[in-house]
Amino acid sequence: MTRRLFLSALLLLASPAAADDLVSGISQDQIAITSNYAGTDIVVFGAIENAAPAAAVSGRDIVVVVRGPDEDFTVRKRVRVGGIWVNSTRMVLRGMPSYYYIATTRPLNEIASPSALRNYDLGIDNLQPAEESTNNPRKAEPYRLAIIRERTRDHLYASLPGSVEFLSPTLFRVRIPVPATVPPGQYRVEVSLFRDGTIMGAQSTPFFVDQVGLERRLFEAAHAKPFAYGIATVVLGVFLGWLSSVLFRRAT
Amino acid sequence: MDIYLPIAEMSVAWPLLLAVGALVGFLSGLLGVGGGFLLTPLLIFSGIPAEVAVATTASHLTASSMAGAISQWRRRAVDFKMAAIMLAGGFLGTGGGVYLLRLLRSAGQTDLAVSGGYVVLLGSVGALMLNESVRTLYAAQLGLSPPRPRKHHHSWIHGLPLKARFHQSKLYTSVIPPFVLGLIVGILSALLGVGGGFIVVPAMIYFLRVPTNVVIGTSLLQIVVVTAATTVLQAVGNYTVDIVLAAFLIIGGVIGAQFGVRLSARMRGEHLRLILSLVVLAVAARLLWGLIVTPDDLFSVTVGTP
Repeated sequence: MTRRLFLSALLLLASPAAADDLVSGISQDQIAITSNYAGTDIVVFGAIENAAPAAAVSGRDIVVVVRGPDEDFTVRKRVRVGGIWVNSTRMVLRGMPSYYYIATTRPLNEIASPSALRNYDLGIDNLQPAEESTNNPRKAEPYRLAIIRERTRDHLYASLPGSVEFLSPTLFRVRIPVPATVPPGQYRVEVSLFRDGTIMGAQSTPFFVDQVGLERRLFEAAHAKPFAYGIATVVLGVFLGWLSSVLFRRAT
Repeated sequence: MDIYLPIAEMSVAWPLLLAVGALVGFLSGLLGVGGGFLLTPLLIFSGIPAEVAVATTASHLTASSMAGAISQWRRRAVDFKMAAIMLAGGFLGTGGGVYLLRLLRSAGQTDLAVSGGYVVLLGSVGALMLNESVRTLYAAQLGLSPPRPRKHHHSWIHGLPLKARFHQSKLYTSVIPPFVLGLIVGILSALLGVGGGFIVVPAMIYFLRVPTNVVIGTSLLQIVVVTAATTVLQAVGNYTVDIVLAAFLIIGGVIGAQFGVRLSARMRGEHLRLILSLVVLAVAARLLWGLIVTPDDLFSVTVGTP
């Protein structure tokens, strides 16, 4: 498997480079959510071209970002009312990624300055919603941080410092988990080459996560033909209930 | 061993779903209840979103009550007229309940309403049952005859208009009480995913004075139809019925129910009621704990806009 990846990486090397001196690829351009889907890994690999080996080693870092489709989030703050926790104030934050993994050769703060990372929109802490239901960004901040906490807990946001490994002075590879709970849609893999705190080259590759087969048809049926879907569920229940009563009568 | 649930949009170990279905089926066969009050909380504890748990449990109840309803039907122990009036109220209640659930969902209060509703319902029903079964067992210990249920004289029920004759139940009474009973159970079915047998049966016996031999069959028929309607309405109104989840729960449930029924034939009624009341109170306590204990995160995040 890995050997084949490197063969394709070498093939990529032979073709004209898409970015300055960085080429990269991914192990699969589609992830199919099937009935037994329990999460998978996507392998991102690449090579640095035209680099003298000595120069390549020093002060050079790779940052790999995998970003899922944007979603809108509703965040509610819980307060205690009469001893019971209830949802109170609500904030809607639109356009935060559903999934965000950032894998690097070293911890991000050693790769570039905080202001540079902010400019490049890199790092979980720098994820910003496209739109908030308030004009006061300071008020929205705890709600944005709540999304980041929740997604991190659910393994949908993660930072993987040191996970990008160099297999030779020019070839690198990283394995990034895609858990079972990711939403379907278009994902982007963005690979950046840093040298002395600035991006020297970048490449972006999309891949797709799709429900396929029965799962997709059931999901679509539930939304497109909800009445028929509901009836089908009832028929299933009635049939199994009836079947059990027949079998039970036989058994006794 | 994982199965992807297309509506809940998550992977769950399918043996767990079979086991949960079988456990609830076993208890419902053992104790003669639908078991929705156990299944919904168990699904919520397993991480299934509350609205999917409530809606999918309804379809499980259709299946588990079906077998019982068929055998009661064969024994002609069903008052169809009474069931029809309760169902008229039931449909209205289910429609209202599904709409109410949608409002709660957009207000972000589904979890609170479902858990809080369960705590109140299970807490009170469990306490009543515990009280009754302990008193019965205590009396049996002293060698006394078990206390008879007090005769209720609900003159206001007999004073209500719109009287009708129910031949199967040998009653001449107003249609309003069964209609209201059906309405309440319909709302509970949509909101909490319960069939309502543990409310309908005592209410029919003590308030409507329906003969005991007709009560179970009529209640089961009513549960089958109301939960079927709830399933369809939840699917249309909230898109929260997960057919894959339902299939696993039903298969586990119908198998578990058979073992429960067999065991129940060898146990005394008072002991069964005692077990049921303790299970009910334990579920209520667990749900109450979830409402009281300080959450790990004071913010709750949901995908989508209200």
